Amino acid sequence: MTSDIRKMDGKDKFVLVPSADIYENQNEYVIKADMPGVTRENLEVMIEKNELRIRGKVATENPADLKYAEYRLHNYFRSFTVGDSIDREKIQASLENGVLTLTLPKSEAVKPRRIEIKVA
Amino acid sequence: MYSTYDIFDELYGLRNIVDRFFTEHPVSTGRYDFPQVNMGEHDDTVEITALVPGVSQDSINLQLVDSSIIIEGEKKIDYREHPYIRKERSFGKFQKSVKLPYGVDHGRIEASLRDGILRIRLYKSEYAKPRKIEIR
Repeated sequence: MTSDIRKMDGKDKFVLVPSADIYENQNEYVIKADMPGVTRENLEVMIEKNELRIRGKVATENPADLKYAEYRLHNYFRSFTVGDSIDREKIQASLENGVLTLTLPKSEAVKPRRIEIKVA
Repeated sequence: MYSTYDIFDELYGLRNIVDRFFTEHPVSTGRYDFPQVNMGEHDDTVEITALVPGVSQDSINLQLVDSSIIIEGEKKIDYREHPYIRKERSFGKFQKSVKLPYGVDHGRIEASLRDGILRIRLYKSEYAKPRKIEIR
C-alpha cells in the first residue's frame, strides 16, 4: 500500500478504510470487509500487478439535518498486496448485508518461469 | 539523465504516509460503540440510521422504552475455524440505547435494513410536532 492515494482517488478528499478480516484455508484466501452503505453497482474490485483494490461508492448522502451523529459516510477505499500464488482468473466477490467477501483461490502450482536468454 | 531511482521517491513516500494519516479514516473509531448511530429530524419524523454490516434482519430487535429506542442484535462470526491473517472486525451481541429528542408515536415505527444500514423512522407524537401559538 505504498501508492499515492490521491492519484488513484483524485475525486475523494476523504476515504474510509473498511475494517477487514483475512483468513486462509488449504484452497483459498478469504477477505471480508465491512462496507455498510455500498451497493453492488457501486462496488469496484480491481487487481493490477500485485495490488488488489477495493473501492466502494456510498450513495447515501450525509443529510444536513442531522441532530446527532456518530458516523459519517465517505467512499471506501482499501488496497491489499497480493502475491503470485493466487489464481487471478478465479477471484470471486460477493456482497451481503454490507459485507464484502472476496475469495482468492490459490493457484494450482506457482510455477517458476524460466527466462530465455537469447544470444545476439 | 535516466535513472530508475529518484532521490525524491522516498521523500514522497514519507509525504504519502503523512497524507494518508489525514485522508484515510478507519470506519470505526472504537470497538465499544457498535453500532454507530446517526439521528436526523424532519418536520414530523425522526430518522435513526445505524451501521450494522454483517447483521442479518432476523437477528435485530428493536424496542421502544419510554423516550429511548433500544437496538439489540448480534453480529455473528462469519468464518469458521480457519487461521486468520488479519482480524480487524469484531463480532458478538450488542445492545444500544438511543435517547430520542421528542416524544414519539409508539404505535408507528418503520424499520428497514439495506446494505448493512438499519433505518428506523419514528413519528413524532402530536404533542411534539411544531405548533403555532396564537397571540391574542
